[in-house]
Amino acid sequence: MSFGEQLPIVFSALNTGFLQTMRLFLITLVGALPLGMLLAIGEMSRFRLLRTIIKTVVWIIRGSPLMIQLLIIFYFPGLVFNTPLWGSGESGRLAAASVAFIINYACYFCEIFRGGIQSIPVGQEEAGLVLGMKPTQIFFRVKLLQVIKAILPPISNEIITLVKDTSLARIIALQEIIWAGQAFMKGSRGISGVIWPLFFTGVYYLAFTGILTLLFGRLEKKLSFFR
Amino acid sequence: MAILEVQNLRKSFGSTLVLDDISFTMEKGAVLSLIGSSGSGKTTLLRCLNFLEQPDSGIIRVNGETLLDAAAATASDFHRNLRLKRLHFGLVFQSFNLFPQYTALENVMLAEKLLAREQPDWKERKAARLQEIQAHAESLLADMGLKDRMNNYPHQLSGGQCQRVAIARALALNPDILCFDEPTSALDPELTGEVLRVIRSLASLHTTMIIVTHEMSFARDVADHIIFLDSGKICEEGTPEEVFGNPQQERTRQFLSNYAQQ
Amino acid sequence: MKKIIALLLCLMLVAVAAFAVAEGESDKAYVLEKGTLIVGITDFEPMDYKNEAGEWIGFDADLAVAFANYLGVKVEFQEIDWDNKIFELNGKNIDCVWNGMTLTDEVLSAMTCSKPYMNNAQIVVMRADKIADYATVESLSSLIFAVEAGSAGEAEVNALGYQVNAVQNQAAALMEVKAGTSDAAVIDALMAAAMVGEGTSYADLAYSLPLNEEQYGVGFRTGSDLAAELDAFLAASAADGTLQKVAETYKVQAAIVTE
Repeated sequence: MSFGEQLPIVFSALNTGFLQTMRLFLITLVGALPLGMLLAIGEMSRFRLLRTIIKTVVWIIRGSPLMIQLLIIFYFPGLVFNTPLWGSGESGRLAAASVAFIINYACYFCEIFRGGIQSIPVGQEEAGLVLGMKPTQIFFRVKLLQVIKAILPPISNEIITLVKDTSLARIIALQEIIWAGQAFMKGSRGISGVIWPLFFTGVYYLAFTGILTLLFGRLEKKLSFFR
Repeated sequence: MAILEVQNLRKSFGSTLVLDDISFTMEKGAVLSLIGSSGSGKTTLLRCLNFLEQPDSGIIRVNGETLLDAAAATASDFHRNLRLKRLHFGLVFQSFNLFPQYTALENVMLAEKLLAREQPDWKERKAARLQEIQAHAESLLADMGLKDRMNNYPHQLSGGQCQRVAIARALALNPDILCFDEPTSALDPELTGEVLRVIRSLASLHTTMIIVTHEMSFARDVADHIIFLDSGKICEEGTPEEVFGNPQQERTRQFLSNYAQQ
Repeated sequence: MKKIIALLLCLMLVAVAAFAVAEGESDKAYVLEKGTLIVGITDFEPMDYKNEAGEWIGFDADLAVAFANYLGVKVEFQEIDWDNKIFELNGKNIDCVWNGMTLTDEVLSAMTCSKPYMNNAQIVVMRADKIADYATVESLSSLIFAVEAGSAGEAEVNALGYQVNAVQNQAAALMEVKAGTSDAAVIDALMAAAMVGEGTSYADLAYSLPLNEEQYGVGFRTGSDLAAELDAFLAASAADGTLQKVAETYKVQAAIVTE
């Protein structure tokens, strides 16, 4: 098969794979950002037990490889409890990968949120208090935008890492774009023993992270009206 | 009747006694200056008056209304209506603590706007109230000599201008007593003058003020009454002439002579 | 000491009981009740691969469809990571591994397998311009071999005592040779036939020496009664000639095992 004939087949396979990559990326963001916020609030709570539990969970999740977490979350229900939880087919694997990624990234986001909230000088809170503002008003009207500004660089860093980390899900055979590219090395859809599609997946990642970088740059610029 | 009565105020952090049996009264329109070395409890006293710290014991009364009776108060009593009690006082911080994402005008308007929203007639009168609030804020900033700077963000203003915005912000809610916590300590010497001028003009308008300061000549000049705090106790008090001109306590003389040498 | 022994005995009892429950179930009954046979595969021409429409075909895939029909269940193909095939099987994410799987001792000890249905060999792949210099197994001794980790090829090279570079899969082993990071690769003969030569990225590679002879089988969960079921089905297919026909479709008729 000539290179010209290979192109449309390879692109359609890579596009399908990239769609799966995107799904995992978006589901993770939508789940991990709010969960991370909840964890951060819990980590700053007055209840010591809650703080200790969250700190331990964050340590375990951040301290162990995401790849192991993927394997455990996907295989343990069937292997240890003899009940395959995730259902068959690609959707089950996507669900398991999403859960693993959401938990993992929520822990990273949690630490970023906590750091951001705690980086706001205590004087901001006190200035709000002496002006008769309620704690919720102080959080939303005074602190929130400052926190967002402070955490934007580390969060964008983490989100760009997430784009690339999605490729780890291939360990549980989620057919994301790298999996799709690798398939042509062995043989798929009439093309076998072809290496270039695997390396070409890099272009997809570059294009997407490029868009994200521009987006975050804009956001940072938008927030540069104050210091 | 005294506008402010403080009786037997006591506060400790852990085992360190920071305020030890502080009592004083103030008349409406008077200017009280708190002086003393670092760690003498001046700032803690201001923070107690503004309910940023909870005193261990003592009574705080404003216009005859008991805001705090620590002997009777449980923690929940302290926190009840805390917001409303705080509104009797305004506080100007050493480090300004302006809200960086708001312009000078927005900084001054914010608290008044939030309070107005809680009024039952807010919805019907929204546009008119907002106009009133803005006009009020603009006139306050104009009084501070910041007419041209109203739409600037804090990072675009000098330290002296920031502190004047902070004073306008504290005045916006018409507090009974305006407190200053070392208002010029974070400023370059050439910028302190503009802030002191503003405070002086407030004094001439009979604004009731408590000023914690290290500017002795300013304190002597602007205050009606001086309290010298030492190790959490009132060591000496009186008119500026009494305290500066003829200090009775050895500790006061020592403190003042250190300043004279500078 | 007595307490510890008692505790251990208790634990063993619990384990045996749990095992007995798992053993007691018939795997065939489980699959029939579920109504689908999930076949674990990797993309592996000519055994299991996608046609241009994206449907799974191949010698193994076609037979798996026929076997599912014979059982009266639907068939579902699930691509897996080859390293995790035993997890997938025991975790019930798949019901069998049917993917040109060499019946090594390791495989036979971890799964209950069908009888062999195809012959295969582990074959040496290297640069086409060098292959004439290495005509005998002994001549290979100075080379470094890229092999799939845990594969039959790795076992063969290890048995010879030659140097091994274990990589993730057979395709990666070939890439090692192409990139010059290894001198030669040892992969399945059937795969080499599909992957090396004209029209591939490996046009300058060639294969020559087989290192062994081996056989493919289908793996089921340990103790599964489906293995015997498949043996019966394959025997019947061989007897009526359908097996040979499928083999001819994928040009592997020379390799199939028929008793």
